Amino acid sequence: MDRLPRVAAPSLQGTLKALLRADFTVQLRNVRALILNFVMPVVLLFGLFYNKRASQLGTVDFRVAVVLMTGMLTLSILIYSITIARDRERGVFQRLRATPAPSWTIMVSRLAVQQVAILVLAVVVLLAARVLENITLSPEAYALTFVVVLLSSATFLGIGQALVGLVKSADTVNAVAPLTYLPVLALGLFGHVTTFGDTFETIARWSPGGAVASLLSGALQPSSWTSDTWWSLGASIAYAVVFAVIGIRWFKWSTT
Amino acid sequence: MGTDMPAAHVALLVRDLQVSYGATRAVQGVSLQISDGEIFGLLGPNGAGKTSTLSAIEGLVRPDSGTILIGGIDARANPTSAKARIGVQLQSTSFHASLNIGEIIWLYGGLYGLSLTKAKVLDLLRDMRLDQEASKRFSQLSGGQQKRLSLLIATVHEPELVLLDEPTAGLDPQARRQLWDRIDAIRKTGRSILLTTHSMEEAQSVCDRVAIMDHGRILTEDTPAGLIEKHKDDSSVRAVARGQVTLDDVFIGLTGSDVRE
Repeated sequence: MDRLPRVAAPSLQGTLKALLRADFTVQLRNVRALILNFVMPVVLLFGLFYNKRASQLGTVDFRVAVVLMTGMLTLSILIYSITIARDRERGVFQRLRATPAPSWTIMVSRLAVQQVAILVLAVVVLLAARVLENITLSPEAYALTFVVVLLSSATFLGIGQALVGLVKSADTVNAVAPLTYLPVLALGLFGHVTTFGDTFETIARWSPGGAVASLLSGALQPSSWTSDTWWSLGASIAYAVVFAVIGIRWFKWSTT
Repeated sequence: MGTDMPAAHVALLVRDLQVSYGATRAVQGVSLQISDGEIFGLLGPNGAGKTSTLSAIEGLVRPDSGTILIGGIDARANPTSAKARIGVQLQSTSFHASLNIGEIIWLYGGLYGLSLTKAKVLDLLRDMRLDQEASKRFSQLSGGQQKRLSLLIATVHEPELVLLDEPTAGLDPQARRQLWDRIDAIRKTGRSILLTTHSMEEAQSVCDRVAIMDHGRILTEDTPAGLIEKHKDDSSVRAVARGQVTLDDVFIGLTGSDVRE
């Protein structure tokens, strides 16, 4: 019997193309993700600008930064980590890993889709801020904001990755994700509020949410970029590295 | 254990494979060899080490030691090249929940370097009598349809070796027969198949050779008829036989009557 033709290992480009197409399709069909991507930021923006007490949270730039931070956090923790945990438990990853696709490409594709979703969210928030509140940024500020959004999304995606690294069961991730989300969000929201005392303000400002919100606020108004903003950038990167290391070190592709 | 055939005709060669999960030794020195166009069955009770053996060959678990050659390629040293040559159907599998089955085939084709057109995908689905379900999601298919789709995906890139982990588990007799026909059709194209099963009927119907495995070791290996002939006079087999010795009797005689969880 003649030997069958040898199958060549597929190219990395072809592998990523196939994975990205599938993952983008899944993301676009995820109604919850779409609502969080497009509706939630606009609603939140309304809330933070039409509620008089919301002005206590900080400057206009900071409040836009808070909306961006909330959206990024929601996509990273409530969508990314829960989806990863669920797909892992159902065996989706093990099936993919049985193909020649290197394992890292499977996760890079998922992360890339979330990064794009976060960029889309940033566009929606900045457009809404312009339309609803007439907040217009300089071209440099827009560019800097998108760069910072990409950088700081790594902090929150890192938290999401750490969550699925440390917690195996999808049900437990589903329960723990909101418990992680709420304190990170709350600390981020109150990062520039002194009502609760200096100690709380310091903790809030240097928490992952607070650091990202300060960083985004600085990017939205580059003239207000101070040494504190640089420290926020350093803190965000440090958080991203620590959480990513935890998430990669303890991540299991299968729950069995 | 039958590992002295010329390498050119060997689709899979496993030698002294060891797999552990922590302190548990799941596979302890398994060796087996599958020739081109051969269907080899791995039988064993739950927890015998069948799936662990398959997982090591598939590159899903890292063996402690041992050799795995797929079409002459060292699967441990070159996992990507080795994986490109095998097709895999896992015991319990799932695909992206919101993709329809046509999109799933396109994805897996892409992961094997194939650029499938819509017409080609439909052709493949038609061949498996799944073309009417092309727009359905995996979870919307019946058990038999899910198994047929898994088999289609395992063979979409026409691999030299197909690994099937309990391919007919949970299927009704009609669906099981259909799948056996599919497996036979794969063999007729010259491909080799390694499958695990709990069904002696399946082993006798589709396998050229079978190995009975327990506690991580291969206990015996031969053709189904050869196994019966080899063990029909064993006292443990005679003790469980009810009349003429069957492959079931050999299996229970060698692995014991205790129910495994």
